[in-house]
Amino acid sequence: MKRSLFSRIWPNATAVILFIGFVFPVYWMFATAFKPTGDIISENPVWFPTHITFDHFKTATGVDHFWTYVTNSLIVTVCAVVLSLAVALAGAFALARMRFKGRRGFIIGFMLAQMAPWEVMIIAMYMIVRDASMLNSLVPLTVFYMMMILPFTILTLRGFVAAVPKDLEEAAMVDGCTRAQAFRKVILPLLAPGLMSTSLFGFITAWNEFPLVLVLNKEAEAQTLPLWLSSFQTAFGDDWGATMAASSLFAVPILILFVFLQRRAVNGLTAGAVKG
Amino acid sequence: MKRKLITAIGVAAMLVSVAACGGDDGDSGDKAGADGYAGQTLTVWVMDGSSPDQWQKDVQAAFEKKTKAKVKFEIQQWNGIQQKLTTALSEENPPDVFEIGNTQTPAYAKTGGLADLADLKSSIGADWTESLNKSSIYDGKQYAAPWYFANRVVIYNKKVWADAGIKDTPKTRDEFYADLKQIGEKTKAEPIYLPGQNWYHFVGLTIGEGAELVKKDGDKYVSNLDDPKVAAAMETYKKFQALSKAPKDKDEATPQQAEVFAKGNVGAFIGMGWEAGTAIAANKKIESDIGYFTIPGATADKPEGVFLGGSNLAVAAGSKKQALANEFLKIALSDKYEGELAKLNGVIPNKESLQTNLTGNAVAEAAAPAAAGGGTTPLIPEWAAVENAPNPVKTYMTAVLNGKTPAEAAKQVESEFNKRLAQQQ
Amino acid sequence: MTVQTERPPSGPVDVTKPDQRGPGEQRPASRAGALAPYLLLLPACAATVLLLGWPLLKDLLLSFQNLNMGQLIQHVTEWNGIENYKQALTGEDFWRVTGRSILFTAVNVVLTMLLGALVGLLLARLGKRMRVTLMVGLVLAWAMPVVAATTVYQWLFAQRFGVVNWVLDKLGWHSMADYSWTSSQLSTFFVVTVLIVWQSIPFVAINLYAATTTIPGELYEAAALDGAGAWKSFTTVTLPFLRPFLYATTFLEVIWIFKAFVQVFTINGGGPDRLTEILPVYAYIEGVGNQHYGMGAAIAVLTILILLAITAYYLRIVLKQEEDEL
Repeated sequence: MKRSLFSRIWPNATAVILFIGFVFPVYWMFATAFKPTGDIISENPVWFPTHITFDHFKTATGVDHFWTYVTNSLIVTVCAVVLSLAVALAGAFALARMRFKGRRGFIIGFMLAQMAPWEVMIIAMYMIVRDASMLNSLVPLTVFYMMMILPFTILTLRGFVAAVPKDLEEAAMVDGCTRAQAFRKVILPLLAPGLMSTSLFGFITAWNEFPLVLVLNKEAEAQTLPLWLSSFQTAFGDDWGATMAASSLFAVPILILFVFLQRRAVNGLTAGAVKG
Repeated sequence: MKRKLITAIGVAAMLVSVAACGGDDGDSGDKAGADGYAGQTLTVWVMDGSSPDQWQKDVQAAFEKKTKAKVKFEIQQWNGIQQKLTTALSEENPPDVFEIGNTQTPAYAKTGGLADLADLKSSIGADWTESLNKSSIYDGKQYAAPWYFANRVVIYNKKVWADAGIKDTPKTRDEFYADLKQIGEKTKAEPIYLPGQNWYHFVGLTIGEGAELVKKDGDKYVSNLDDPKVAAAMETYKKFQALSKAPKDKDEATPQQAEVFAKGNVGAFIGMGWEAGTAIAANKKIESDIGYFTIPGATADKPEGVFLGGSNLAVAAGSKKQALANEFLKIALSDKYEGELAKLNGVIPNKESLQTNLTGNAVAEAAAPAAAGGGTTPLIPEWAAVENAPNPVKTYMTAVLNGKTPAEAAKQVESEFNKRLAQQQ
Repeated sequence: MTVQTERPPSGPVDVTKPDQRGPGEQRPASRAGALAPYLLLLPACAATVLLLGWPLLKDLLLSFQNLNMGQLIQHVTEWNGIENYKQALTGEDFWRVTGRSILFTAVNVVLTMLLGALVGLLLARLGKRMRVTLMVGLVLAWAMPVVAATTVYQWLFAQRFGVVNWVLDKLGWHSMADYSWTSSQLSTFFVVTVLIVWQSIPFVAINLYAATTTIPGELYEAAALDGAGAWKSFTTVTLPFLRPFLYATTFLEVIWIFKAFVQVFTINGGGPDRLTEILPVYAYIEGVGNQHYGMGAAIAVLTILILLAITAYYLRIVLKQEEDEL
């Protein structure tokens, strides 16, 4: 088969254009964060930061309670993700490997749960937490975030569990393992990539959430980073340098996680999505 | 009928909670022992920019000395404050004392979320200026204490005006416009920073025109934006807004207009005196260039109408520290600290006798001439709902600025406006 | 296939093969085993009932109440029957917002799926180095937290000093030099759509690419033997193979985009003139923003029902599919 020069070039050319399109907003965020204000508000954009400055980062992190927000965000996110993985793994195993009455009902149930529009139920959640005297605490946040990511986690993990060949498990049991041992020694290691990729999505969701924490936690001691970021525009006006520095700081943990887990995430998701 | 019942329940509940917490000699949680109130902390919400650090520190010191208790100031943003306040008041530990805008006070008084301050009024409020105390009274009861009042002035950059060759500040609206035009022609600066939704300034203009924003239709209030006098005010706004590059669909807080001004490339903006402080905080170098003048009216003898903005201090009905909160108010509103606030911020204090603190204050001198002709938004409980985002008055302004006629714009927002005024409480 | 239900549904697959069982297992153990799936699902179900069911129920109860500032502050429960629903359903606002929401979801999902699929197929055609490069770009966009991405887009599309306006101006479109993207309904939706599609394409593209790599090569060989051209083999091999994946992804995109509260709310607060409010934003503004909490709860319930209606078709497919599985 002979291919014209054109047909060899266009995929690459398109790819380059797409690459620029996808990367530019991310690049522009970092670039703006490092530019001195004069270069940010200039009639002609300064495409590459030539005079690097860290001032904007100082402004962004100089906010009262910044480190409290960081700690809170980390605690809430990590706990929510770990909890949901543990709860989901048990459920996913049952759904993928066992046959029992009502199995379909459970699956549909979790799919429905996945659709829950949390933002519109904020006031109901607020009143529940208020009446339980749990405001300004990280506990309700953690469990609600856990719930927000739980359905997706279960359904995705179910795909991963199903993808582990049954023969392996059976072989282990023939070798004298109990079912629990077989799970721990054979299935769990094979599930590791799946667990990682699912946790990634949970991490993003929990890391991002802000409507709920906005109403639940009025005290700075119990607030998280999204509030810090979303308050920037009022607090710093049109100081785009500081705002972009804040955005960069907020995005970096997720970007790093993604870079580490990307490959596994991708393969895993396909397994999950197709099954889901 | 039902509504009355609810109000009755509300008032009863409030009375109970107030009674439970006691007046000056309430239950154990709120008693001044030998140590005073040692170990207790009073939470006070104040709005961003309304009270200087110096004042907070001084009041804190005086309060701690007198009561042995601590006071914690928490700075709040105006944006979204109503939702935050409503939920906070429903909680177990509401802020004990909080600043509340005068136009929002009647609605909160009606909810029963504010404690009755009759005792405070009789002990320190005998000579509160009556017109300033109006918003704190609902159904004949004192639900808040007047704190400070202010009206907008023109804050300008002397250097820019000098660069444009202007020697004197304008005395009439036309002169003001001509000066701004001249700045636009002779300098590189933006003549005025006026975003499309500086609606308090617009309310001021309607007051200048003698217009009302709502009218009575039977026993309920409805929109009066279609009044030609409102249209006239809007035309004035539009004329000046055309000189600004500020967004037509944003208010003065996004971005903070003082921070835009602080960059030194803006001729003037219409704002509260303390916004100069915000500008100086953003750019120290601007300090020596800042000047103030009264917003000029149609004729030289009468300044522009202004919105007499102000804040009251209220005590949460659900606060468990009623007595301590009263102690705080007695200190914060005492002649000494009320006077200090007036002096530092150039705001109108709650007593006429304290106005001497304003002598020599550039902001106050610019603001005072207009204050006499100032007014407020309607002081009715129904009004608070109008101010919730998206505020139909702001929508109206943006619509006109984007090319609709005032009549069309008034018609466009009418149903939303009326819906909010009629909203079931 | 090692757990036996007490009363197995009919069908040969359900018969447990005794030889697969571990030597130590006895009958009683398997009776306990019948409970195992329920025990394993218990934590997940308990969490769902407690943390999702309860707020849902609470929301439903609130939707039959007149709940405003006063009632919230005083903790007063004031039932008002179906008044909230009556008001919402008889007003034209709700239906207008619903229509807008559906259109908004449709446009964004179609764009995302179409462009995502094209990018995915492009990935499959690229050489290794180029593919990895593009993947990195996609992953970066994908990984941007929504709150940060939304802020960045506000800056890109800022009226003054925004880089988009600058580029348009330089391209000869001078009226765009100081254009306010938040000034009209269409331009606001345009920005939101660009943001959402930009963030959603990577998920679709990367997954679709990964899925194509799992298509057995023999299928293509067989198609080629039958004389199928590129297009024919695409429609007869690639597409059918990817169908379940496309269904699943579309479902996820529909619910994600329908619920795109943060993007729409942050970019322009549902403005101008409330013209870009989609259902979740409408529920928030009427309920929380307007302090008309009972009304907000009613709109929330209606929103959930509409989302269910939209996804009903897909859920039915899943139901059927599950019947055939295992």
